[in-house]
Amino acid sequence: MSDKEIIIKSLERVERRIRTNRLLNELALGATYFLAFPLALKVWDLFDPLRGATIAFIAGIWILLFAAYVVWRSLYRATLRQAAAVIDRAAGLNDEIKTAFWFIHNPRPSEWVDVQIHRASISAKRMNLDTFFPRRIPKTSYVAAGLLLLFAGLNFVPLPWNHNWLALQAAPAFTLTPDEAAILKQSEALLRKAEKLKQPELAEKLEEIVQQLQEGKIDAAQAAQMLDLLQSLLDEGNLDAASIREGLEEMARDLAESDKLEPTAEAMKNKELNLAADELRKLAEKLGLNTPESNKQMQKSLQQASENPRLGLEELAKLLKEAAENLKNEDQQGAQQSLDEAAQELDSLEERLQSQELKNLAAEQLQNLQQSLRQRQQAGSQQGRRGQQGQAQGQKGQGQRGQRGQQQNDQAEGLQFGAGTEGEPTDQAGLDSQAGAPMPGNSEGNGLMPSGKGGSDAPREGAATTLDVKLQQERVKGMQDQGKEENIEEVSKQERSKLDYRNVKSELSPAQKDLLNQDRIPWEYRPLIKNYFQAIRPPDKK
Amino acid sequence: MSTAIDQQVVTFQQQFRKVKEEVSKVIVGYGEIIDGVIMSLLASGHVLLEGVPGLGKTKLVSTLSDVMHLKFSRIQFTPDLMPADITGTNMIHEDTKGEKFLDFQPGPIFSNIVLADEVNRATPKTQSALLEAMEERSVTVGKRTHKLDSPFFVLATQNPLEMEGTYPLPEAQLDRFVFKLKVDYPTVDSLHTILNRTTKVEAPKVNRVLGQGEVLEMRKTVRAVPIARPVQDYAIRITLATHPKPPYAHPLTMKYARYGSSPRGAQALVIGGKIRALLKNRVHVSSEDIRAIAYGALRHRILLNFEGEAERIDPDTIITGILEGTPEPA
Repeated sequence: MSDKEIIIKSLERVERRIRTNRLLNELALGATYFLAFPLALKVWDLFDPLRGATIAFIAGIWILLFAAYVVWRSLYRATLRQAAAVIDRAAGLNDEIKTAFWFIHNPRPSEWVDVQIHRASISAKRMNLDTFFPRRIPKTSYVAAGLLLLFAGLNFVPLPWNHNWLALQAAPAFTLTPDEAAILKQSEALLRKAEKLKQPELAEKLEEIVQQLQEGKIDAAQAAQMLDLLQSLLDEGNLDAASIREGLEEMARDLAESDKLEPTAEAMKNKELNLAADELRKLAEKLGLNTPESNKQMQKSLQQASENPRLGLEELAKLLKEAAENLKNEDQQGAQQSLDEAAQELDSLEERLQSQELKNLAAEQLQNLQQSLRQRQQAGSQQGRRGQQGQAQGQKGQGQRGQRGQQQNDQAEGLQFGAGTEGEPTDQAGLDSQAGAPMPGNSEGNGLMPSGKGGSDAPREGAATTLDVKLQQERVKGMQDQGKEENIEEVSKQERSKLDYRNVKSELSPAQKDLLNQDRIPWEYRPLIKNYFQAIRPPDKK
Repeated sequence: MSTAIDQQVVTFQQQFRKVKEEVSKVIVGYGEIIDGVIMSLLASGHVLLEGVPGLGKTKLVSTLSDVMHLKFSRIQFTPDLMPADITGTNMIHEDTKGEKFLDFQPGPIFSNIVLADEVNRATPKTQSALLEAMEERSVTVGKRTHKLDSPFFVLATQNPLEMEGTYPLPEAQLDRFVFKLKVDYPTVDSLHTILNRTTKVEAPKVNRVLGQGEVLEMRKTVRAVPIARPVQDYAIRITLATHPKPPYAHPLTMKYARYGSSPRGAQALVIGGKIRALLKNRVHVSSEDIRAIAYGALRHRILLNFEGEAERIDPDTIITGILEGTPEPA
């Protein structure tokens, strides 16, 4: 191998080693910096859990950036000239290799140059690569490994709100509170028990709603609406359990008049319908052993019991009536059959009543859950409003008026849910209605829509209620003030409307217009009347 | 082939060492100054020694001439010294027939080694008489030009303290010196040695170790040393950095320098670097050689501006800044 080849080979080896070491250093350093980001994100997640989509997005960008960094650094290669300079510095060769490399590429017919290259080749040959450029694990790689371990460790921190990203877990879009989760669990259990209702899909529907809520596909308000729908499904085919129980008790009283039917009646009275059914079956079996008198007594009792017209007991009454008629006709077999069927009906009734109880319980739980979600939704929207108000602080005038209107709105809402039926028409209420808020005392509480019965005649019922707050006196436009009177008489700078006000398009609904035409005006509509008359009031004459 | 070159290098180093050893017998503690003076001789240049009186500048030069088989002359520069006192003059002579003719009487400049002692004491007119001799290696008197012997080597000394009655060397003349060496006060140990040597009955004797031909041969060897383009580029960048104008100007030169080095500065860097490389047993010039030579080669070529003068900026400070600010060739 010639001197030149020796030098070039050495330079290539050194360049490779330098590149490897540099790459290790840079990757370790890069990994340290890059790992700091997910670590910080994970710490953030511990305080404010992040959603799966957010994490996936950030992780995607992070991986892309890191991959780009790795590729970028891997593509960088030092030149052999740079490698020569590095060797000279590391081995203290005083530019020997660098000079030789330059003369290799810029040859000169000089013995001195040849000697220089020869000497450089000897130095290159003697050079121990591992001495000057040892392979070392960069210190930053330990830091990177530490950060990696810390990141992994944070994922396994046993906190209830911690999500293990490594197991592809993340915070749901909507988190149920422990109370809500308990309610949900109970509701599901109840619905599953109520499979006998042949409505097993209700539990699945409930699960689906919660899943959609947690995945962020629907918000709390939508979830509440869907729960409402679910509840209405549950309400379908509801039995009036109380009425049935009452009816059964009445039937039991009728049946108790017969000695033979007394155990059955006692069981029915005790709401043990299965036991009552068994007693009825026993009675049917032993029907042939009864005396004609006792049968007659039974027939009477059954006849009386069958006359109970309660809803839900029609079938039982019908069967008891059949049994009574069969006994009357001395059709023992028919009577036995009717009594057996009545026993079956009692069993079925027991089953339905139990299912109904489960349904009621589930409905109650769902209502609680729905209420909880609505409250959270309201709290969220109020927070949002506060944020908007903060943003609008710089805007005077209209912004301030809007804020005040919002406060009034909130007050109206409070009245609506709190002392809805006890409200009294006041000027303040008028202001509220002007601002488009619901009427005080309106249990339905929806703008100008008619209120419930409690509010319609409120001023005429009982003593007038008072408010703790001092209401602001409202001055009607054009009304004489107690203080200085100021009448401004001036021709309008704008021309009067050429349209008759009767032809002006009204924003009122037909129902509202109809109300205005009635003599008896509900008090909630008085602000409307006032507004109306203020609008058509002629200007004061001097 | 390589053996011959190696031998040449070894011979160069031996001869250099011999001269230095002989001079060191008389001159104590000025190893770098001795190196600089010998290097100036081998670089075919001249040297300016600056130092307070009594530090052995003149002694150094006279000792150097003693160790070489070279013709030596000394000129004590005084304000009344005339150019003809240096270069020589045409004298009227009468031959045996009684006919008169002009005969050129060579001055002290016609030597191989010329000591121009306290060169700044002579008038500029006299100082300029040295210019032609130093650069052209010739002297023109009347209509005739007289060639000087080779090697021709001027060693000038000047006292930096006494400024009264002196004439600072003009820039053009300063530029003709390849190196300017600063002679500092000797250390305590060196003073002990000086006293021990000079207060005895026997004065130290030196041997003549180098002849004219050997000096010329050494000069040839120096010039044969190759320098790679990147290293030469480094020397050029350093030289250009002494100029106050961009793009290579260093902030310090921009602030304190009026003019920078001429190309002679770069020549001095490279030739000095070559000598240093040989002395370090190398056959190539490294950037370290350039850096080592930079102070001697450039300090007298940087002319300070008013601000630099007012703040008493040492050109060496500027050179240090330049060396730190100029990246080594990659």
